[in-house]
Amino acid sequence: MKRRFFGKGLLLVLVSLLMVGVLAGTSLADEKVIKIGTLFPLTGSCALAGQRCRAAVDTAVEVVNNAHPELQVPLAAQEGIMGGYKIVLIHADHQGKPDVAKSEAERLFDQEKVWAVIGSYNSAATKPASFVAELKKQIFMCGCSSSGALTERNFKYFFRMAPTDKTESLEFVEFIEWINETKNADIKTVGLIYENTEFGKHAAEEGRKAAEAAGFKVVADVAYNPGATNLNSEVQTLKAADPGAVFGACLGGDYTLWVRTMKQMDWLPKVSLNYCTGYQDPIIAGQLGEDANYFMGGTGYAPEFAGLMPAVAAVEEIYKSKTDPSVPFDSDSIQEAVALFILAQAIDKAGSLDPTVVAETLYANEWESPLSMGGKVAFAPGGQNIKAMSMLTQLQGGEYKRVYPADLADTEPVVPMVPWSKR
Amino acid sequence: MKARGKTEGKDLLWFGLLGVLAVMPLIPGPLQGSFTQHVMIQILLYACMAQAWNILGGYCGQVSFGHSVFFGIGAYGAGMAVVKYGMIPWPGAIAGALIAAAVAVAISYPCFKLKGHYFAIATFAIVEICNRLFMVWYWVGGALGLDYSFSEPGWTHFVWYESKRGYFYGALLLFILVFGVVRWIEKNRLGFYLRAVREGQETAESLGVNSTKVKLMAMAVSAFMAALCGAFFAQYNYRVDPPMVMSLDMSMKFVLITILGGLGTFYGPLLGAALLIPLQEYSRALLGGMGGGVDLIIFGLLIIVVVVYQPKGIMGIIDGIASKMKRSEEGGK
Repeated sequence: MKRRFFGKGLLLVLVSLLMVGVLAGTSLADEKVIKIGTLFPLTGSCALAGQRCRAAVDTAVEVVNNAHPELQVPLAAQEGIMGGYKIVLIHADHQGKPDVAKSEAERLFDQEKVWAVIGSYNSAATKPASFVAELKKQIFMCGCSSSGALTERNFKYFFRMAPTDKTESLEFVEFIEWINETKNADIKTVGLIYENTEFGKHAAEEGRKAAEAAGFKVVADVAYNPGATNLNSEVQTLKAADPGAVFGACLGGDYTLWVRTMKQMDWLPKVSLNYCTGYQDPIIAGQLGEDANYFMGGTGYAPEFAGLMPAVAAVEEIYKSKTDPSVPFDSDSIQEAVALFILAQAIDKAGSLDPTVVAETLYANEWESPLSMGGKVAFAPGGQNIKAMSMLTQLQGGEYKRVYPADLADTEPVVPMVPWSKR
Repeated sequence: MKARGKTEGKDLLWFGLLGVLAVMPLIPGPLQGSFTQHVMIQILLYACMAQAWNILGGYCGQVSFGHSVFFGIGAYGAGMAVVKYGMIPWPGAIAGALIAAAVAVAISYPCFKLKGHYFAIATFAIVEICNRLFMVWYWVGGALGLDYSFSEPGWTHFVWYESKRGYFYGALLLFILVFGVVRWIEKNRLGFYLRAVREGQETAESLGVNSTKVKLMAMAVSAFMAALCGAFFAQYNYRVDPPMVMSLDMSMKFVLITILGGLGTFYGPLLGAALLIPLQEYSRALLGGMGGGVDLIIFGLLIIVVVVYQPKGIMGIIDGIASKMKRSEEGGK
């Protein structure tokens, strides 16, 4: 009797939840709408980052669809685009899996009839999802996936906002040369540590190329499987090679583990430069506390950049209402908001919903983007934003201090990093 | 005579099912939808994967969690032929399937000396080893995997972009092959040997069955079929990388679908896939965008419902209903 009751209860829960989904999917009856799909890892190991990216796109849509004359962002003063069209978002979850990303992209285009897709955070998921968009001659806007390979495919409908690993690698090397010159850092060797994925592998390849081209010797090349529970042997390898600088591509919790393992082994390089990874995540920086200090990385946005990007703060207030109010935009999520703003501007300017016309408009113009560092977005063939910039920051006292390029810096970098024993 | 009649009925049902499946994409209406066709393709593919596993795990009673390795080798066979050598995928798929069968025999020969849970644990380890090996094996693309570029759609290159009908019929051919082979095994001496080993290895050996040879044959056939499914998977997703194909997650799908449908039964894998795949795809489509994994929670809850109610899977439920009806008919007489 008990078992029957349990089963019936469970079935009732299942049916109710499915009904919620059906009702949520049938509430779009408005006529003058442009459906845009978002495709992020809403579950799985990158779920938190994916949910923040989704909230960032929600924020941009809120600004575009409603009049916000108080915001210094293009299209904010008007309601909707192209004479009153509103953007409606259809969210999808790819769970961090490329095959799911591909099938969800197909579903968004074929079943949900979205006009374009924004996504997908993980480079390995962005690749097949944008392949689907290209086949269908539909626009795919990519905010923060950083694998250089994505814009080397000569796709016509793919556009990426963030700088690539190549750009960041060149900046890392430039910085090392600068501190060698100005601060007698005496760095001659480089080590690489990265997750063994599309993103990590590409980042490491670009890091190696840039370092070797500038005459640095790569003395350690350490790959690990993402989601590792132990990085002792990886850190031991780094420690044994003792490179002057380490380029890191460790996402999320792996970054935390890497930093803590280095502390446990009482070792640090002179400088640790990180691609867009756990370093830029304010929650992870908070969790690491004091231990997060003196690490560095390429950063597209941090609240400390308010002076450089004054328009962000007001938009960020809307963003905070859509996610954890204590967490500001980060380098990744802000790029997804930029993707939506740029797409909306292009549709508005093209005055057409023909994807080919809008893609041509995207290429033909330079776009105002107060949420991007540098304030502009423009695309090269293949879809890379050639105005994409990031600057090097260093965590000092729990804050992302701007340290390079020197003309935009607000603080001197601490080089070499303060050893664990002296903190 | 009764047993023979039952067998003919099963075959009749099988051919009827194939007839229905063959005309499904031609029926106008909701079945023409791209997403519906995607779900149908996934059902056929996962049914084939589960049936391939069923040869070893269901009929022969050797629970393997390593089938994603063979699936992955097949996927890499097709992927390497297309991406690395610019060939059509067919020779790569066949080579991959043969290599998978050979690897399966080589791996299982020592593993079959382990009994019960130890064999299952050993197969777990094999997945992890192969996953890491492929992650750093740059000849096969390493962690970056292999990405397909555009090629001429059709049967030669086994890719379609505009419509999914080609993939559906491709999956149907795979379904006919895998289920056909299992039906043949079921009716022939090998099928009896497999079941004899499952019911009691020592007893089977005492009756003259060479249990090691039987298990190795089951493993080879099972791995060959799993690899063909992997080749189809790579062609369908235009990409192969180690986490996609060689993971415990993928291995669990082989096992879960079969257990849910009915272990060691002919239609069990199909029923398991027909329940799990639409549930997975539609719950993700309806609820995945909300975040928080509501779709995955529903997916898990349903598995609990089925397993709590009928540990023999959906085939157990159907058998239960059939015997109830039979009893009430007899009572009526």
